[in-house]
Amino acid sequence: MVSESEVFWNPLLETLPREEIVKLQVKKFRRIMEWAFDHSKFHGQLYRDAGLEPGDIKTMEDIARVPKVEKSMMRGIQKKEPYPYGDMLCVPLEDVTEFRQTSGTTGQPVYQPDTWEDWEWWAESWAYILYSQGYRKSDRVFIPFGYNIFVAFWAGHYGAEKLGCEVVPGGVLNTEARLLKMQELRATAIMATPTYILGMADTARKKLGLDPVKDLDIRKITCAGEPGASIPATKKRMEDAWGAKVFDHIGATEIGAWSYECMEQSGGLHVNEALFLVQIEDIESGEIIDQPNKQGRMVITAFDRLAQPCIRFDSKDIIMWHEQQCPCGRTFRMIKGGVVGRADDITKVKGVLLAPTAIEEAVRGVTELGDEYEAIVTKRGDTDNISLKVELQPEAENLREAVLAKLNDQLRIKTNLRYNISFHPYGSLPRYDVKAKRFKDLRKKH
Amino acid sequence: MTRTDLKEINKMIEGIEKRAKGLIEKGQGIQAIERNAARILASTKMLKINVSDLIS
Repeated sequence: MVSESEVFWNPLLETLPREEIVKLQVKKFRRIMEWAFDHSKFHGQLYRDAGLEPGDIKTMEDIARVPKVEKSMMRGIQKKEPYPYGDMLCVPLEDVTEFRQTSGTTGQPVYQPDTWEDWEWWAESWAYILYSQGYRKSDRVFIPFGYNIFVAFWAGHYGAEKLGCEVVPGGVLNTEARLLKMQELRATAIMATPTYILGMADTARKKLGLDPVKDLDIRKITCAGEPGASIPATKKRMEDAWGAKVFDHIGATEIGAWSYECMEQSGGLHVNEALFLVQIEDIESGEIIDQPNKQGRMVITAFDRLAQPCIRFDSKDIIMWHEQQCPCGRTFRMIKGGVVGRADDITKVKGVLLAPTAIEEAVRGVTELGDEYEAIVTKRGDTDNISLKVELQPEAENLREAVLAKLNDQLRIKTNLRYNISFHPYGSLPRYDVKAKRFKDLRKKH
Repeated sequence: MTRTDLKEINKMIEGIEKRAKGLIEKGQGIQAIERNAARILASTKMLKINVSDLIS
């Protein structure tokens, strides 16, 4: 007989009866609201303006009355004192030990400070994820990704360490070298974006003559950054290519790692309801949706993150509750099919969230370029490709190389993506009178 | 695990927290004591999230 501790990171919380979870969530919401009310000028003002105090929170209905926070509000207060976080910072600046930032594809990146305690919390939230996906002390986890200032795989790394796994950071290597290192070390698990998981398998076969199923020892794959691991056809393609179980997880820099697929792979992702409160709001009416299979926008609270709290954050993710209880025994509710869309008009390219307006901002920030451009996203095999057609101003013809360098820089800063850029004769790209169609996503939808 | 077990674990967690804070107080500003005790406190917070929140 399998003991609870073999299945759950913390059976005390993961199998808590529903009514106890709700009671715990209300208590923890009141606590984090009180913390923010007392320590964050931004939150204090927000709640006073709404006529609310933490003591007013006694039920889930009370929580739904608490004002939401949007990313644009965070951008508005950052880069001010205490620099660079501004009035949301709840701890002395010298207590911040971690800096991360969002990718900034929808505009100015949001900076996220964490204390060491917050960082322990990040690792803790990942420990729940990885343990539920079968990671154990005996695993050697290879992370084929340069973590940079983005949080996901840093947290995955520390979460795996917390479980006692041996972690191999494979950041600076190229794909071939990463594959050979995985083979040499007999790594048993990897974490990456679905696009890269498929791309690596392709490279292994075509460039190294390796079959990941037979020649590598990867048995578990945890995905982040794209919805692919929650899309059945993509998940199957990855599992077939690697001979491994592929699991999804969802997190965000300003939120935390809030959702995960367990070993049952029952078509949904658990919300870690001990660490987060997820509420789904009707997109038009704003009413709370509790019934399954009805899409709405997610409003989320992280209960235990203190330096820059995440309270009733409007993530603009579109999700829906699952109608089933997972056979794994966790009482945490599941969302069906992961994040099924975004409330605003952005898309993911190569695992990075891209707002078409960011391309416009980059192109039009280069004065030597004409007004018109065309960005086209395609898929070659399993890899996204983005091409960008631009026009040089006639007088800048002899500056082509310098302009190209400048544009590449701007695009990298604004969108965190690389493009295949081509110059076209001035006046040759389509002109529009009314609604322009400068961004074209030609990838087949799953 | 019974409620009595939980209470007992919670008491042990409180004890760790108290001792870590005591180390900081007694450490006379020695960073090797203060910072390592602060790390104990961060780990203790995770124990509180995982256990103590169910008790209080």
